[in-house]
Amino acid sequence: MDILFSVVREDTFWRILLFVHFLLAVGLLAAVSLQVASVLMPARQAAGHVIDRSPMPAQSFTILIIVLYVLQALMGAWIYVKYRTYVRIPMEELRHWWTVGSFEFKEHVVTMGMGLLPAYWYFWRQPGSAEHAGIRRWVTVFLALSVWYSFVVGHVANDFRGVGS
Amino acid sequence: MSQVLEMNERGSRPAAAGAPASPAHAETKTGIFAITYSIAFPLLYTAFERLNWPLFTYHPVLGNVDFWRQSAGVGPPMFWYGWIVLAAAAAFVVALAATTISAQRLRQTTVFCCALAVLWPAALAGLRIFILDWATFDAEFLNSPWVAAVPAFAGATAITWLTGPRFADRLWTSWLLIAPIGGLVVLGYSLQQYFVR
Repeated sequence: MDILFSVVREDTFWRILLFVHFLLAVGLLAAVSLQVASVLMPARQAAGHVIDRSPMPAQSFTILIIVLYVLQALMGAWIYVKYRTYVRIPMEELRHWWTVGSFEFKEHVVTMGMGLLPAYWYFWRQPGSAEHAGIRRWVTVFLALSVWYSFVVGHVANDFRGVGS
Repeated sequence: MSQVLEMNERGSRPAAAGAPASPAHAETKTGIFAITYSIAFPLLYTAFERLNWPLFTYHPVLGNVDFWRQSAGVGPPMFWYGWIVLAAAAAFVVALAATTISAQRLRQTTVFCCALAVLWPAALAGLRIFILDWATFDAEFLNSPWVAAVPAFAGATAITWLTGPRFADRLWTSWLLIAPIGGLVVLGYSLQQYFVR
């Protein structure tokens, strides 16, 4: 890290990291939202079979979502070090309790999502299988909600002390 | 009709979607591992967070990592990484063990463990209320997780026996949502101090 900080200023480095975290979050948000839309809004065939409406098969997002989710969790865990010392302490001093509490809850939400990834991967291996259609849909919805919640809360925390604040 | 054909060409699999469900207990070992891991992880993470059992503590100011829980030091200690790693390792072991037992036994064990996860802290909370508000004698010896374990294990056994294997089978994949949502309810409630100030 010392070598890195001799090239780029420390606060600039963390801001770049935060910005990359934001860009990846947008990508993850887009992928998981498209997938959840495709599982929640299936079109009906004339014969009554439920089929996929998405222009791309929803399955094609699965690996991308898993990779981005893990990458985001790792990046978030890295940036969290800076948040804990540089952001949360002034947040508490200024009594922004809702922001602190929401961010604490975000840690748990992201962790629960991470725990679900193996089952999510397994269910999307055979997206046409009717056996796990229901649980596949709701696991995907859970992941999407966790990503959306994390994005909004992360954005609020960033507004307190982050890129452009 | 043309719309239907167009949709079929987009790569969807209507024929597979309409295919009859495969028989129960058809998961491969990979599937059993993945599902069990995803059920066990949220339960274990919630338990370790509430008990404050991190595998290690990170001190961000000094950049030190200490084994287990070390609150003392310069700056705030960080336990989150330690809870995650411990929960992930424990869930891995549980999921690996799950692949060695029969499907029916696994589903019933899952019901038992989930019931135990609810009943054990509930029994401990109940005992503490009893000691504070009801006991007419020195009941401090009841304030122990091991005493609470007795009614919790009995209750979990009764629930597993009463619900039976068919219910356990029906509930199996639903635990994937019940466990993380239940965990988030518990963890969210523990954060209420931030929202009621």
